[in-house]
Parts: sequence; structure tokens; C-alpha cells
Amino acid sequence: MYLTNGIVIGIIYAISALGVTLIVGIMKVVNFAHGELYVFAGYFSYYMSVSLGLSPLVAMPLSVFLVFLIGLLMEKALIRPTYGDDMYSLIVTFILSIVLQNLALLIFGPYPNKPPNLIFGATNLFGLFYYGNQRLLSFFISLAILLFIFYLIKMTWFGKSIRAVSQDREMASRIGIDHYRINMLSFGLGAALAAAAGVILSPIFPVTPSGSAAISLTAFVVVVLGGMGSLKGCLVGGLILGIIENLGAAYISTMYRGIFGFILLILVLVFRPWGLYGQKT
Amino acid sequence: MKSSTIWFSVAGLSVAIILPFFLSQYWLHVMIISLFYVMMASSWNLLAGYTGQVSFAHAAFAGVGAYTSGMLSVFLGVSPWLGILIGIISAALLGLGLGVLCIRMGGIYLSLTTLGFSEIIRIIITNEDNWTRGTMGLQTPGLFVEYSKTGYYFIFLAVAVAIGVVIYKLIHSEWGLTMRAVLNDEIAASASGINTINVRLLAFTFTSAIAGLAGGLYGHYLMLVTPDIPSLGQMFLVLAMAVIGGMGSFAGPIVGSFVLEILSEYIREWGEYHVLIFGLIALAMARFAPEGLMGLWINKRKGHGHTN
Amino acid sequence: MGILIEGTQITKSFGGVTAVNGVDFHVLQGEIVGLIGPNGAGKTTLFNLITGLFSPDTGEITFAGKTLKGLKPFEICRLGIARTFQIVRPFLKMTCLENVLIGLIGKEGQTSRPQAKIRKARNIMQITGLAHLETRMAKDITLIEKKRLEVARALATGPKLILLDEVMAGLNLSEIQQASELIKKIRNDFNVTILWIEHVMGAIMKTSDRVIVMDQGKKIMEGKPDAVVADQRVIEAYLGQSDA
Repeated sequence: MYLTNGIVIGIIYAISALGVTLIVGIMKVVNFAHGELYVFAGYFSYYMSVSLGLSPLVAMPLSVFLVFLIGLLMEKALIRPTYGDDMYSLIVTFILSIVLQNLALLIFGPYPNKPPNLIFGATNLFGLFYYGNQRLLSFFISLAILLFIFYLIKMTWFGKSIRAVSQDREMASRIGIDHYRINMLSFGLGAALAAAAGVILSPIFPVTPSGSAAISLTAFVVVVLGGMGSLKGCLVGGLILGIIENLGAAYISTMYRGIFGFILLILVLVFRPWGLYGQKT
Repeated sequence: MKSSTIWFSVAGLSVAIILPFFLSQYWLHVMIISLFYVMMASSWNLLAGYTGQVSFAHAAFAGVGAYTSGMLSVFLGVSPWLGILIGIISAALLGLGLGVLCIRMGGIYLSLTTLGFSEIIRIIITNEDNWTRGTMGLQTPGLFVEYSKTGYYFIFLAVAVAIGVVIYKLIHSEWGLTMRAVLNDEIAASASGINTINVRLLAFTFTSAIAGLAGGLYGHYLMLVTPDIPSLGQMFLVLAMAVIGGMGSFAGPIVGSFVLEILSEYIREWGEYHVLIFGLIALAMARFAPEGLMGLWINKRKGHGHTN
Repeated sequence: MGILIEGTQITKSFGGVTAVNGVDFHVLQGEIVGLIGPNGAGKTTLFNLITGLFSPDTGEITFAGKTLKGLKPFEICRLGIARTFQIVRPFLKMTCLENVLIGLIGKEGQTSRPQAKIRKARNIMQITGLAHLETRMAKDITLIEKKRLEVARALATGPKLILLDEVMAGLNLSEIQQASELIKKIRNDFNVTILWIEHVMGAIMKTSDRVIVMDQGKKIMEGKPDAVVADQRVIEAYLGQSDA
């Protein structure tokens, strides 16, 4: 049961972390506003389905698309001028996270919100225990998104351009790849992945504006654990963190759920600072 | 030292010394808080503006100082002065430990790890409420037997000036030069025989210790230590003060601290909006005037018409 | 003259590309050795391996009898190897004097007084012809001056061996002449051994005691300048490049 929970949550962590690692890998920028984008997406999907009465099936992709647009805008207006200055991009995205968090508080209020479930009931898993259908469905949606992203990066023109830019920006532009466009698109995609995790997870764990820091951190731990810029690392890292958190919460302490990630981060830094699949330089 | 710098310091100090005799208790309080932010923003700037390391744990280290000293005085009856000293040492040791772990991996890792540390400090404080009184806050003794705002003001002033002098000396010494070299080009610095990891680590440990000192004093002034001190919101204020005042300059964060703290007294009535407003100002500054108010002022004084 | 630096079977690859492939080299005390070869031959990578920016996959480099294995760039610098960069890297937002001071701080640390360091830095700037730029920001000087500033900074670290990476690129004939004089002066007055990469053939042939030729990661030839110029393999390597 806890293990299953861990795997389901872990896959969603992986999606969220993919959003971070994509941006780090390509642009060497850590998006500290990652958690806020997640929270915004959760609220969008809540308001669209509860206030506007849209079906969650419509509200979810629409929210993700909206956050994708926000991501494009962020990159163009604020991140692009900081290229080549890692320090300023860190500062800018951090300020942005505070601005967005306060904006969320103003617009949505401090109360946790929970978009409606897509599906109800529970299914008997392997004849062992009953497991919520919503969680099972979340698992499959997440898996589909993961496969789609892997396909996108490994197989398509967009993916090849992304990898070219991340390896050598100058060379990429020489062979005709517009790295501004690629950066903008990948920042948008990173934002959309945060949003995807947000809309999938918010029916299970309600979103609050103040919860965003923890969401960012979870994604960062997964990225460091898996290795910065590594897609495979995100998947494995997400699963490891999901399982450890759920087992830890069950057998050690729920209050300290958030601390397991940090302990894991410290252990990684001590024993394998470049992560599981990262490049050792 | 340039004669204008000396002139400014002397004038500033004279005003600061006679100030409490003209200010209401309320504005004296505002001045004390501003001085706390001067300590925080100046030391954070020494780290970020001079070695390029963006720590998000500066407020957390202030919290370490405040809680260490607060708990020692409440539960063991240790004198607040000794408590503050132990708080400084704790912050320095934690800084050293974190620094050893992540600094060799580069700037991004420091930012990520310090953000995590900050969140962990918050979780521990809220959950260990037997010791910290959680979100209720820990009531701590003051520094004096008889409460005196003027007394606190002079203590804060003396410490802020002392920190300022040390930082000023440091950035104008060979140490400051090596820090700037590391910020300019780490590979070239290393190829010139500079142990860049050590420079970064020392700067991080030293500034964390200053945050611990500022936090310790702050806690004994408020006489109530709450999780707000180590919060990311507090961290943001410190960062915004340095960015708006001007990173990488000595006077920038000092100016930023006073401007923002005084400004926040005027826009306090807007409640929730005030952090948002600071955020937007800071974003605009980072985007359009990355050298902050000091940069704008210096450019204006030079009368440079050229644009970059 | 004894061997100052020696590398045996140095190999380094990045991804699938072998940048340096089984190279043996040595430089004697007091020698001026030129390192030439077409673009992409692995010359700069070899410099990066010597100075500890990268570590070789196989092979070992010894300097004055000590292995450089596992040493960090600043430790290697303190042992007495200084360098300049092909794509210049002065500290842009610092004055020229401060740039040179960093080299002295790297070497002497806190063992000498700041005033003494400033005197030495001024002296080095005098010799390298930078005295008039003392208070200028490094970002505001010309590329040629930046290259010279890097030489000055490298000299300030008090090296036994200095690695110069294309310091003459972009110079005119009389400037090349001056630069050659400077290189000889560094060797004679400072007693510094020199290993340098250069594309300006006239200068490298005239000024070097010995030349090492690399192509596609391998050492294809070494010897006296006149012998190298006449060698068929060297001619082919260069002609092959101009075809492409």
C-alpha cells in the first residue's frame, strides 16, 4: 500500500522535476518559481471546473496550457536578459516566486482548494488492497506524459535542437537553430510540466499558496538526486523520493515528511554530488 | 579611503547618534529594525555581490542565532550576551557544514541546498513546539534589566557600524580582491593560484555568522522569537534590500535597508500588498537597473549621458 | 639542462571524440618550445590537462619530478606552472593593476605586505609594457592589451614554466617582433621555461629552441624548427587543413 502510494506519487514528482531539469539542462537556469506555477495550475483547474463548470477533462489541459503561456512570457520578459549571468537568474526567479506566491494569496486566498475528482471508487489491486481510482488514473496520465516527454526529447526535431543548444549554444546557432526560440519553448515546457504535476496532484493533495516552496524543493531534490539535466535521473529520482517519503511518513513520522527529501539531498551531496545519472566533471 | 566616503560616514554617524533624542518611540523602533536589516543585507551582499553566491539561508541563519540564544536563556538561564555568542558560533558551524557539502559543486547547488535548509529549519521549529513554542513564538528575556529603546538603538547602531567597518575593510583588502576575482572568472582565478573553493567557503561561513549575530540581537530586542525570523519571506526582504539598494557596492544594501524599511511603514496599511509591491519593485530593478539605487546615483553624478 | 615537465601517453576524450591521443612530451629547463598544429589538433586541451582544468583519462604528467595527478588548478599554479588563455580571461571588472595583483596574491598569499605586492606588480607591468594602463578597467582595454595583461598576471604567479596560448594572434609584424622579444626576455630575465602555442609560423620558428607538432590529437613530429618545417608529415597536416 505505502509502496504503491510511493510509486504513484513518485511518477508525479518525476514530471514536476522534469520541468526543472529541462530548464537547468538547456539554460543553466534554476526556476525557483516552479512551485508557484504548480500552485497556479491547481487553482486554475479548480476554478475552471468548479466556478465555470467545465469538465475536469477540459479544465486540466486548459490550465496547463495557460501556465505554458505564462512560462513563455516569463522567459521573454525576465529570464532572457539574464543569460550568461547565473547569479541574476537565480535572484530573478526567486523574487518571481515571492511575487507569484503573494499574487496567488491575493487572488485565490489562503485556503486549500481541491479540484473535483475525475473518477470515483476504488479498485482491488493484485487482490491485496483497495486503491483509489483517482490515484490509479493519475498514475496512468502521468506515465503517458512521461513517455510523451521522452519521445519529444529523444525522437523529434525539437528534442534534437534542445540537445544541440544545451551542448553548445554557439555551434547550434551556427547550424541554424534559433536558441532564443528553443530557450523560450523549453522554459514554457518546463512551466507546463510543473502545471501538469499541479493539476494531476491537486485533487489528491489540495493546493495552497504557501505550499509552493515545498513543491519546488521536492522537484529540486529529485533533480539533484537524478543528476542535473538527466531525464532518466528524474524518473528514478522521483520514484526513490516518492517511496522514501511514503514509507518514512508511515513508519517514522508524518510531521517530518518534508525532511526526508532534505536528508536525501545531503546524502547525495556527500556521496555522489553529481547525482545518479549526472555528468561527473 | 576617499574623502567623500569619510565625509559621508562622519555625517551619517553624527546624525545617527543624535537621532534618538528627536524621534518618537515608534520611529526609534523603525530605526532599530532598519539597523537589523543593514546587518543582514550588508552581509548577504558581501556573499552574493562579491563572490556571486546566492544563499537563501541568510534568514535561516538569523533564525539559528535567535532560537539558539532564545532557548539557552529561557531553558538554561544563560545570559543573552553569552547566548548570542553561542548563536553566532552555531550559525557559523552550520554554514561551514553546508558550505563544505555544496560549494565545490558550484553556485546553483548552494542556492538549492540553502533553500532546502531554510525550509527544514521552518519545519523543525514548527514541529518541535516543546522547545520552540512553534508558531506561537518563544518569549525571551531582553538584553537589559530595565527596558530602554534608546539603549537597544545604540547597541544595534554600534554592532551595525562594527559590521560595516569589518566588511568595508574586507572588501578593500587582498581578500576582497580575491573575492572579486572569483566572481569575475573562477577558472582564471584558479589558474592564478587562488583556492577558489576556500574563498567561497570562508565568505559563506563568515556571512552566516553575521546573520546569526543579527538574528540573536533581533530576538532579544523583540523578546519574542517566531518562525517569521527564519522565513523565506524575511529572506526575500533582505534580498530585495540588497538588490534595490545595489548589489556589489558597499553602500547599496545600507541604503536599501533604510529605504525599504521606512517605505514599508508608509505602505503598511495596504497589508498584504506590501510584499507584492516590494517584489515588483525588486523585479523591475533587477531587470532595468541591476546596479540598484547606488548604481543609478553614481551614474547620475558622473553625468554620463551614454547608455549601455 | 634537466627535464622540467614530462607527459607520458596522455589521452583525453570527450564523449566520442579523442582530443588528445597517447601524447608523449617533455620540456627541458630553460627551453622555449613551440606547440603547433592545425585547429582541433588538441593543443589547448593539452594545456588544460597540464594546468589541471581537466584530468587525463590515461597517462601521467610530472613537473619537476612531482606528479600532477589529482592536483587542482590552483595547486598546480603554486607549484610553478602559469598560463594564458586562448580566449582571453582577464578579470574584466577589475583594474589592470588588480589583475596582476591576483597573480601575486595567488603565489604569496598573506606572506608579504600589500605594499610590497603593489611594487612588484608595477614592476611586472613595466616590463610587459602595461604601465600606462594601471588604473584602467580590464574590460576597457584592447584585445592585444588583454593578452599582454594575461602574460603579466601569469608572470606575477612566479612560475617556473609558463604556457602561452596564441598570444600573438591579431598582432601586426612589428608587434609580433616586440612580442618575440618579450618572450625571450621572460626566459632570460625571469629564468622561466616556455611552452607556447602559436599560429604565427615565422615567430614560432625563429624564437623556439624546439617545436612539437600535433594533428588530430596525436604528436606527429618534434625537433628543431628548420627540421620541422621541412618535414613531409607537417606539410601534409597543414595542407590537409587548407583543403577542408
